[in-house]
Order: sequence, then structure tokens, then C-alpha cells
Amino acid sequence: MRAKADDPPLLSEANAAFVQRFTSMNVAGRDAQNRPALARGLGIRVSPDRRTLTVFLSTTHSARVLQCLRENGAIAVAVTRPTTHETLQFKGRVREIVPLSVGDRAEIAAYRDSVIEELMRLGYRPEFVKTVLAGSEDSVAVKFEPDEMFNQTPGPKAGEKLAAQT
Amino acid sequence: MNLTLESIRRCFEGAIPAQIATSAPDGTPNVAYLSQVHYVDSGHVALSFQFFSKTRANVLANPYAQAQVIEPATGVQYQLSLQYLRTETEGPLFEYMKARLAGVASQTGMSKVFKLRSSDIYRVLDIHCTEPAVPESSPMPANHMPALRACSARLAKCTDLSSLLDELLAGLAQHFDIDHAMVLMFDGANARLYTVASLGYAESGVGSEVALGAGVIGVAAGQQTPIRIAFLTGDYAYSRALRDSLGEDGEKEIPFPGLAEPHSQLAVPIVAGGRLLGVLYVESEQKLRFTYEDEDALMALAGQIGFAMQLFEHNSEGGDEQPVVPALPASGAEVAVKLYPADNSVFVDGEYLIKGVAGTILWKLLSDHARGRSEFSNRELRLDPSLRLPDISDNLEARLILLQRRLAERCPCLRIEKTGRGRFRLAVERPVRMIESP
Repeated sequence: MRAKADDPPLLSEANAAFVQRFTSMNVAGRDAQNRPALARGLGIRVSPDRRTLTVFLSTTHSARVLQCLRENGAIAVAVTRPTTHETLQFKGRVREIVPLSVGDRAEIAAYRDSVIEELMRLGYRPEFVKTVLAGSEDSVAVKFEPDEMFNQTPGPKAGEKLAAQT
Repeated sequence: MNLTLESIRRCFEGAIPAQIATSAPDGTPNVAYLSQVHYVDSGHVALSFQFFSKTRANVLANPYAQAQVIEPATGVQYQLSLQYLRTETEGPLFEYMKARLAGVASQTGMSKVFKLRSSDIYRVLDIHCTEPAVPESSPMPANHMPALRACSARLAKCTDLSSLLDELLAGLAQHFDIDHAMVLMFDGANARLYTVASLGYAESGVGSEVALGAGVIGVAAGQQTPIRIAFLTGDYAYSRALRDSLGEDGEKEIPFPGLAEPHSQLAVPIVAGGRLLGVLYVESEQKLRFTYEDEDALMALAGQIGFAMQLFEHNSEGGDEQPVVPALPASGAEVAVKLYPADNSVFVDGEYLIKGVAGTILWKLLSDHARGRSEFSNRELRLDPSLRLPDISDNLEARLILLQRRLAERCPCLRIEKTGRGRFRLAVERPVRMIESP
């Protein structure tokens, strides 16, 4: 069910701050035969009204997922913080896939720096993170409106659907 | 380059969580995090299922999935296209994954949360590397074939169980750089394993016992599966404290020799002809010390050990002819050897020595020795009705090695000396006073 314009946004301010830094993110789509595909996101931007998410994907590293997203728009994005395991998943329809803006490149770089900082706390070297997040040179911006948000932090409440906070 | 599961097994060590994408029948995709992708064989992986989840509902309706794993040294990612086949909730694979999950859970601070509900088995349809070209620097798995060959050659020269055990441990130390190891034999009658040889501990622990099904060693034996844990586990069931698993009075317990805090553990079953003979166990203070390749190599060695043990078991019964050699006169202070028939435990000067079958054997040998005999054969022990050996399949040779090594450690004035194939001598250096407890 689509959110109406006057409904509160699904993401709280805290959710928006959480997803954009220090996280690991993965994006799934599926093809016409309903076979899923998975790729790593290189950053995410939450619009000021918190109704649109823009996730960055490498065209060379994420070719299959991007093809699925272009074909049918069904998207799922999971975002987790490695040091806390706090995890959210968003599901929705892709509105458009566009080239990166200048601001997007800065966003990707800032996100990557935050992940390096996060994973260094777990003992990983910056080079490791740069390989994991490789492919940003040829990224595109995938914009979608999340219809659903789920708590996916490991534990008994994993999978719980989260409502917008009024 | 065609990627194989074997070439990317290091991605499955559990150091970094993997992800899985599935899709519901209505075409809604889903992403979830996986604690464990487990290598089953060249065409299959098993995924740990811990929580009732969308992933599970999706694959039951639409079996296709894609998993993403990371090579922990380089950060290179691989995508595995999968097809769900079936779920297992018991048996060797399940127990292996449950034990490994305990290690991963501790490593990630999730011990209270992670509990394996099932192992879900998937066929691997395709492996894709995210990097346009797999980097040259991507490390290849260590090649253990030369080390395996060297160990195997040493074992092939052995003519009895005692030298087989010694050569195995020396070979592991020299060719595999393994610092801590032990071999345990299976006692089917009592559903236990007893340590018969060890490497790298302050006390050898020979004679210490582990209950079948308890801890890494007991599960490896009970399920006849290797168990490899790459991290220190806080899970009580897999951590040390094996003593409590037996729940007996401490006086008759030989302390288990293992490390207090092993960060890596690997137990492989020793099986021959489908029959469990024992377990080879290695451990380390270093995390991620043992790899899939170590597991492969130790499983291969365990196979050779198993057949050799079986062979020596059948060949250890030398002829009946008994050279008559009078017992040497004993001298010095008297040693008091006391038998408790309830469990055939034997105490020497008030110190616990051994119990069970080995205790019974020692009592028989001392009784015969008191009547002037010092030469014995395995065959006569096997046939002696008073010993009531538990089973024809019980490894008498292993019992004798256990007794021999316990005597050497605790009571050097009594010695079992091998005199030929299936024959040995009991050397008694001090006068023995035998006391049978009522």
C-alpha cells in the first residue's frame, strides 16, 4: 500500500541518520523468472522529507541486479551496522535510475570513509574496505520510495514490520 | 576462469557475515544476513537457519536464491546462485554447523541469540566473482599435499599401535606445525572416549575421558563427522569443562589435558569399516588456525590411521608359545596396589592410577606375576574369561598402551615392555602388596 502524501514518512530521523553512515548495505532485485540477484550498495542518501531513498550501485559490479531493477523495479535494501548488528530492510519500487550527480560522488566518498572507520574497529584494513566497496567510478543512483520497513536485527524480533512513527 | 567452491572455501569461515537474496511468489525480493555458509561438497552448500524468516518462507515457495560471500583476506566478493533442496534438523551436517555456529556466535558477541534451528541445503548453480578479473593477489588455499604425503609415509612404516600414535603426533608437529593434539580411543561399552596419546601439554592426560556426544570431541565421535571451530566459543557445550560432562567423583578423574581457552579446535573421527575407533583432536590458541584444507588433510590421515588400527588389532595376537623367563626379583620399598572391584579402579600407594578394563588387566597381570609369571600375550588376555573384555571389537592393544603409559607416568616401578608381536613382559622392580577392597 502506497503512503499518502500527508502520512508521516516511514523513516524516522534516527532511521535516516542510521542508514547513511557506518553501515553495510545490500540490494536485491529479481528477474522475469523470479530469480533473485544480490549486490552491494555503495552508499545511500535519504531525501530531506525522508520519503525517497537513493542507493548507489556499481554498473560493472552490480550488472545483474541493475538489469532486474530496470526490468521490473522490485527492490529490497538491507542496511546493517557491523559493530552493533542493528539492521533495517526496506522494500519498494524503483522510480528511476540516473547518473551520479557531483553531490552523489561526495556522498559515496563520505560513506566509504565512515565504513573504513567502522571496520577498522573490527580489525579490518582500509584496503579491505576499498575492495569491498569497489566500482564506485561507474556507479548509478537508484531512487525508490520505501513502502515497507522491517527490523532485521538478529533476535526474536527479527522480521518485524515497522510502521511510521506518528 | 571457472570458479569452484573449493577455491573460495575461505569465504565460508564465518569471519564475515554473508548475505542472501530470495524472492516471494509475488515477486518481492528480500535480503537477509547469514551467520554461516557451510561447504558441503563441490556442488552444494548448507546455510544456517536460526530464526523463522522471510528467507525461509520464500525458498519453500520459490527455491532460487543468491548468496554473497566475502574473501576475508582481500575483500573480494563472490555471488553464488543457489537452489534450495532440503532441510536437515539432525545428523552429522547439522551437528557440525551447530558447533561452528557456537564459535561464530561467540566471535560476534551473539551467543545468546544464535541457535541453529536447521541446516538448509542448496545446490550451487553458478559462482560469480564481483571483480571483473579475479585479482592476482587473491591467495590460493595452502597446499597440504606434501605435508600429508610426508605424514602418510611415516605412518606406513609403523608396525604397531604405539608407534603409529607416536608417529602421527610427531608428523602433525613437524609437517603441519600443530602444537597441541591428542588421540582418543572409543570405548563402546561405556560410550566414552579415552585419551591414549597427546602432544604439547604439561600433563599428557593419558587415560582422561570424554563422554560420547560431549563437546567438540564427543560430537565428532557421536556423529562421525569432523567438527572445526575457528573461534573461541563461550558456549559451554563446546568449551572445555569436559570434566563435568562425566559427572563423576573427581578422585578417579584424570584431568583432560586440553587448552583452557582454545581459539581453534578441530576434531576428526577415526573410522574403519564404518566402525568408530576414536578421534584425532587438534587445537590452538590462535583463532582461524585450522582451515578447510587442514580438515581435509586430517580426515585423510584419520582414514589411514583407522585402517592401520584395525590391521594391528587383528595382527596383535602373536603365537601361543611362551618363552619361560622367570620374573626378576623385586627390591626396595613395598608398593601398595589396591583394587576396587566396583569399577575396577586401581590405586597405587593411595594415588589413583586407572580403572575399567585397564584396571582389570593390571590386576590379572600382578596376580599372575605373584605366581611367578612375567611374560604375557595379547591372545591369552583376549581369551581370559576373568577379564570379561567388553567386546571382541574392543581395542585391547589400545588398553595396553593406556595402561603402559599411565604406569610410566604414575608408577614407574611397574612397567609393561613389549617383547614381540602380541607379547609383552610385566617388569616389577619393587615388591607389590595387593589389596582387594571389599
